[in-house]
Amino acid sequence: MKGLMKNNFYAALSSARVFSAIMLLLGIFVAAMDNVIPSLLIGYILSVIMGFSANGVFALDKENASRWRKYKMTAPVSRKQIVGSYFINLLLCLLTGIIFAGIFTYLSVSIHGFPFDRSTDVLNLFSVGISISLFMGAVFFPLFYLGGDEIVEAAFLVISLFSAIGIVMGIISLLNRFFGPKMTVEEIILGACILIVSSAAVFAVSYPLCVAIFRKKEY
Amino acid sequence: MEHILELKEVSKAYRKSDFKLDKVSFRLPYGAIMGFVGENGAGKTTTIDCILNTIRKDGGDILLFGKEMTDEDKAMKENIGIVYDGDNFPDYLNPMRLSDIMGGLYKQWDNGLFLDYLKRFNLPGKKKIKTFSRGMTMKLAIAAALAHRPKLLILDEATSGLDPVMRDEILEVFLEFVQEEEHSILLSSHITSDLEKIADYITFIHEGRIILTASKNELAYEYGIMRCRESQFKEMDKEDVVAFRKRDFQTDVLTADTKRARSKYRDVVIDRVSIDEIMVMLVKGERI
Repeated sequence: MKGLMKNNFYAALSSARVFSAIMLLLGIFVAAMDNVIPSLLIGYILSVIMGFSANGVFALDKENASRWRKYKMTAPVSRKQIVGSYFINLLLCLLTGIIFAGIFTYLSVSIHGFPFDRSTDVLNLFSVGISISLFMGAVFFPLFYLGGDEIVEAAFLVISLFSAIGIVMGIISLLNRFFGPKMTVEEIILGACILIVSSAAVFAVSYPLCVAIFRKKEY
Repeated sequence: MEHILELKEVSKAYRKSDFKLDKVSFRLPYGAIMGFVGENGAGKTTTIDCILNTIRKDGGDILLFGKEMTDEDKAMKENIGIVYDGDNFPDYLNPMRLSDIMGGLYKQWDNGLFLDYLKRFNLPGKKKIKTFSRGMTMKLAIAAALAHRPKLLILDEATSGLDPVMRDEILEVFLEFVQEEEHSILLSSHITSDLEKIADYITFIHEGRIILTASKNELAYEYGIMRCRESQFKEMDKEDVVAFRKRDFQTDVLTADTKRARSKYRDVVIDRVSIDEIMVMLVKGERI
């Protein structure tokens, strides 16, 4: 398992290097800019969280160019562990995105003050970014194992990302309808928790589903 | 337990193709090298995939170290080294990072041994795999397969596409590997000259069926090709004919017992036969 994690790390690192540099520069720019209109900060929080997650997922594509996917199966690891390593890798990439977003949001707020109406708005942004990332992974991994080698992984990534955005928008619409237009702070926090818990639950369910699909696959 | 690997009537069919493995059976003893020979698409890789559980067999038994291997059987997998044809590892790695990964996968990983092989094969440790030539990637795969100290080495067309000097170098490594009594190699290849140099046993597969499995000595000393006229061929006993091929003015007959054939058919020329010729006779020739 340690070897699988290391491989995933190197794969993610190879594709995330450029992305990290861009996000670092963009983060500095966001922190340096006036945040009276917080759209730049909102865009940064969402893109850095979802971007790192997408990067972690897209790293899988790199190993498919070789026989590594098949080779790994002959190593002393089970198929369950191989799938598990991808899920953990996504969570680690998501965590990296959250840390990036957290650092530059903190810097922006420290330098220019709090730009949102309520403190819960930041929580909402993070919960939306995290939920989209988790839903994306939950959709992507089963598709990745179902699709086989003949379908381009990038297509799955786009499908997964749009599906995840759609699901999150759907849940938000339902929450707005349920709680009404003037939500209390408690309702907003509950809404954010519902988003994260539901996406985490779907992500967790996706894991055994992927293992079941992968066990039937032949390479 | 005399055999490190034993296949008993292994079958595998595909829904989307007519190809199938048809009751494939052979046994690889400890301390031996088996050449697994067949033309492209004969079923060599499918058989190896069944052995390694990357595809599921439909029927039959595959015993590795005397036991069936499951997906969870990590201890058994530790003892198997694999080399596939082409790029075995992702190109974003370099050999040192590969070693780091392999060390996390295999408990028996010996980094010192891996570095020794890198040195022996003149492979750079910190250069990315994507810059490697085909020969270098194959050498790296062989170094990685040997560095976790397996007992069974399975190579799927690992020497194809390499120049003769490089192939010779690699064959030497294989011969060193089988110096240990409990080490064995299954080497799938269609380069029969390699197998003539190092294999103890040769198994021929054609259209998913094993058509012959024998020791190399048996093939070299007991098999032969009788060059005969039509009339001579007609008078031959069926049991002396493994396969035959009719040419313009003669018929080539593959026999499994040259000594007997020499004593029975004194006016027939009998030549020694190479593995290549046996393969051609078995694949292209007719059976009685």
